[in-house]
Amino acid sequence: MKRYNYTLLITLLVSLMACRKLNIPPKNIIQDPDVFSTPAGIQAYMARLYSELPIEDFRYSPQRGLNFFWIISPTPATTGEALSRDQTSSMQEAFGSWSWDIWGGSYTTIRDCDYFIQTLPSYASNFSTAQVNAWLGEAYFVRGMTYFALVKRFGGVPIVNKTLNYTVGTSTDELKIPRSSEQAVWDQVASDFDFAIANLPAINGDDGDGSRANKYVAAAFESRAMLYAGTIAKYNATTLFDGQKNQLCGIPVSAANGYFQKSYNAAVMLDGIYSLYLKSWSSTDKTAQYQNFVNLFSDAGSNESIFVREYQYPNSVHGYDAYNVPRQLIGPNGYSSEVNPTLNFVEMFGGIPKNSDGTIQTLDASGRYILFNNTMDLFANAEPRLRATVILPGDAFKGQNIEIRRGIYTGPATGGINPLLPAGSKSQYPLTNLVVSATASQTSYTLPDGSLMNPAGLSGIFTGDQTCAISGFSVRKWLNPNLPTSQVLENNETQTWIEMRYAEVLLNRAEAAFELNSGGQKGTADYTQDAFNIINQIRLRAGATLLTSSGSMTIDTIRIERRKELAFENKTYWDLKRWRTFSKEQNGTIYRILMPFYSSEAGKYFFDARTDERNDVYTYDPRWYYEQIPQGAISKSPNLVQNPGY
Amino acid sequence: MKKLFYYTAFFLAVIALNSCSKIDNYPAPSDTINGSTIDEGTGATVQTEIGGGGTRVKLLEISYSANPTPEYFQSMQDGTFNDDKIFAATYKVSVEGPFVPLVTTDNTGTVTADSSQTIKLTSKATLNFKVQPFLRVQWVGKPVFNADSTVTVQVKITRGTNNANYQQDITDINLYVSNTQYDGNNNYDPRYSKLVSYSGSNGTALLGQVITITTTGGALPQQDVYFRVGARINAGLDEYNYNTPMSVTYP
Repeated sequence: MKRYNYTLLITLLVSLMACRKLNIPPKNIIQDPDVFSTPAGIQAYMARLYSELPIEDFRYSPQRGLNFFWIISPTPATTGEALSRDQTSSMQEAFGSWSWDIWGGSYTTIRDCDYFIQTLPSYASNFSTAQVNAWLGEAYFVRGMTYFALVKRFGGVPIVNKTLNYTVGTSTDELKIPRSSEQAVWDQVASDFDFAIANLPAINGDDGDGSRANKYVAAAFESRAMLYAGTIAKYNATTLFDGQKNQLCGIPVSAANGYFQKSYNAAVMLDGIYSLYLKSWSSTDKTAQYQNFVNLFSDAGSNESIFVREYQYPNSVHGYDAYNVPRQLIGPNGYSSEVNPTLNFVEMFGGIPKNSDGTIQTLDASGRYILFNNTMDLFANAEPRLRATVILPGDAFKGQNIEIRRGIYTGPATGGINPLLPAGSKSQYPLTNLVVSATASQTSYTLPDGSLMNPAGLSGIFTGDQTCAISGFSVRKWLNPNLPTSQVLENNETQTWIEMRYAEVLLNRAEAAFELNSGGQKGTADYTQDAFNIINQIRLRAGATLLTSSGSMTIDTIRIERRKELAFENKTYWDLKRWRTFSKEQNGTIYRILMPFYSSEAGKYFFDARTDERNDVYTYDPRWYYEQIPQGAISKSPNLVQNPGY
Repeated sequence: MKKLFYYTAFFLAVIALNSCSKIDNYPAPSDTINGSTIDEGTGATVQTEIGGGGTRVKLLEISYSANPTPEYFQSMQDGTFNDDKIFAATYKVSVEGPFVPLVTTDNTGTVTADSSQTIKLTSKATLNFKVQPFLRVQWVGKPVFNADSTVTVQVKITRGTNNANYQQDITDINLYVSNTQYDGNNNYDPRYSKLVSYSGSNGTALLGQVITITTTGGALPQQDVYFRVGARINAGLDEYNYNTPMSVTYP
C-alpha cells in the first residue's frame, strides 16, 4: 500500500512540474521576437524573401522552372534565339515538372511578405524609422515582384494582401478567394512598387551591391511591369470573364496609355542614377567595344547593373558554363553547347553582308558560293555586340579558335561551287563529294596537298550526336573566359546574374515613349525624339550603325534593338509573349542555321545558309499566352476559373 | 477462456463481413454523349484537328453548382464526337472550336448569346450543334501529281459566318502533307508541306477564288500520302478550319 502512496506522490510531483513547464514557449521554434527584434533576424527573414523571389535567372528554364540546377532545355531554345539538342519545339512553361510550384510557391512568398508587413510595426521600437520603412519597402517590392510573376503567366489571380488563418472546424469558404481581374492585379503590382519607391532609400542600407532592392530597383521593375501591362492592353486578343463580369484575361485597350505612361515615368526616375557600362569602351576601336560588352556581364563594379542575384559556393550555385561552353572546351561533366544561336538571330545584327531580303549573303551574283580564307572573314565587320553575344565560327575564346565546320567538300572547285542543295530545300546534304564526321572522335581526311584535316571542326558539326554547335554558332554571352576547363562543372559556378540592367530600363522607356506617341499622347518631352535618342545610345555602345532619323523608326526598330541587346538574358521569351507575336513568329517555323564547309579543291571555306537540319518545327499555340492554372490549385479552391482553351 | 475465444471470433467475423459488404465506390461511368458539330450553312460536319488544338465538347454539371468546374472531351477529326464513359447527371453541353462560339460575351462580360444544350443524361444522348465556321475550305477537284512528283491541289475558301465580330483577315493558308489521314497543323511533314502566312488583307483577297498550292521540297517519297488544306483568321484561339483529308495514289 505504501508503494502506491509513493507512486501517487511521484506522479503528482511529475505532473505538477510538467504543468508549470508548459507555460514557456518551445525552445526549438523561432518566435516572432527572435526574428523581429534584431537586424540579424530581419536579415534572415529577408534572405528567405529574396531567395524566393521569382526571377528567371541562371537556374530557370520553361521546362523545369525556377531554382532548378539542370538547364538543358534552355529558355533561348524556346524563343528562336537559339537551337538546342534537347529542345525541339515551341513550348509553354511545364509547371507539372517544376520543382518550384509557381502557384503555391508564389502565394507562400506573398504570405511571407504579408506576415512581415503585419508584424514588423509592432517591433518598430527596436529600430529607427528609416530602417523600418526601408524593410517594409523591401517586403512590398518582393510582393510586387511575386504578383508580377503570377499575372504575366496567368492573367488575373487572387489578390491576398493579408495573412489568412484557418481555424480548425470552421468553413474554408472564405479562404477560396476568386481571381481578380487582370487589370486589378497589374494595379496591385504598380501600387506595391509605388510603395517600395516611396519608402526605400536610394542605396540599400544593408546591402548596397544591387542584390537587395532600393528605390530605383523598384522603379526599374515598375517600368518593366507597366510596359508589360500596356502591351497586354494594346495587343492581347484573348478575353475571359467570370460570372461577376471581372475580366480575368485581357485589359480594356483604353487602359494602355495609362500603363505606358507609368512605365515611362518610372524609367525616367533612373535618369542620371545608373548609366550604360562604358569602362573599356572606345568610339574608334571595335575590339574595345566588343571587350566592353563582354565585361559588362562580369564587372561587379558596373554602374549598369541595377538588380542582381548573387551565388555562393556551395550553398547557391549554377552551371551556366558547363552547359554552354563550345564543344572543344567541354568540362569534366561532359555537357557543352546547349545554346546555339540561330541564323535568324544573327541576321538581326549589322555588319554582315546581306541580300536584299535581309538574309546573309553566302552566294555571289552567279549563284555560286563565295569563298573565304577563314570562316571569320564573313564576319570581319560584324557589329561588336554580336561577337560579344555569339561565338562566331572561328572566333577566339579562352585562347582558342572555336572551330566550327560542317564537313569537307571534295567536289570540283574550278569555275566555282554550286549550292549543295536547291534554295529552300529541307533535305539532308547529299553525301557525294562530302566528308563529314558523326562524332568528336574523327578520322582525318588527307587534303590534296598531303596535309591532314578533320572533317568537322573541334566544336562540330557532328552528324551523329548533336553535342556541338548545331546551328553553326555557339553562345558567348555570360560565359566566363577565366574559368579553367577543369572547373567548368555543374553546380560549381557563382557568376552573378544581372536581372535588371540600365540598358533594359532605357529600352523600356523607348518602347513606352514610342507606344505613347502612337497612342496619340503628347508629353512634355517629344516621345519620338526620346525613343530615337535612346536607341542610338544603345547602338553607339554596341558599336552598331546609328539611326539617321527619328521618322524612320517603327515599333519593330525598337523591338529588334531590345531583342539584340537583351538576348540570352531570358527576357525575349516574355517580350514575345507580351507583344503577342510568339504565335506569328513560331507558326510552323523551322529556324535557319549557317553551315561552314571547307573545299579541299579550292583550299577555302564557304557557307551554306539553310533551315535546321533536324527539321524541328516551332508552332506556338496562342492559348499559351495565358498559362493553364494548375489543376491542383483549382481542386483546392473551385472558385478559380480556368483560362481559355485548357 | 473458450467463451472469450468464441466471442472474439464472432466479433471478427462480424467486422470482416460488414467491411466486405460495404462497397463505397460508384460503378464506373457508362453513359454516352455523342453527336456532331454541323456547319449550319452546308449541313456538313465541321472538320477539325485531333489532339488538344481542335474542337472539343464542354460539359458543365449544373445540378450542384451554377459555376461548376468544366469537363471537356475532344471531338474527332471529322467533327463528330463520342464519349461513352460519362456519369449520368445534368449537363449543360456546348462545343468550342474554329467557329462562332455558342456562348458569346460582349466586352463587359455580359452573355449576349448562349446556344448550349442542357440535358439530363440517362444512358445516351445524341447532340448536334449547328455552328458557323469561321472559314469553309473546299476542294476544287482532286490533288494532282506533277511530272516532278510534287503535288498540286486546288481549293476554294469562303467565310462561314456573317457575324461582324468574326470577319478578321485570313492569316494563314497551309497545305499539309502527311502519311496518315490525321493531317493538320499539329501533325504534318515539314519537308513537303507548304505553309503561307498572309499579312494585311492579302489572304482575305483570296476568298472565293480558286487557290492553287503545290508541295515544296521536291519529289514526294513513294508512300501513302494525305493532303489537307487549313486556313485561319485571327479570332478566338486562332484554330484552323480544314477540308477533308484526301489521298492520291502515287503514279
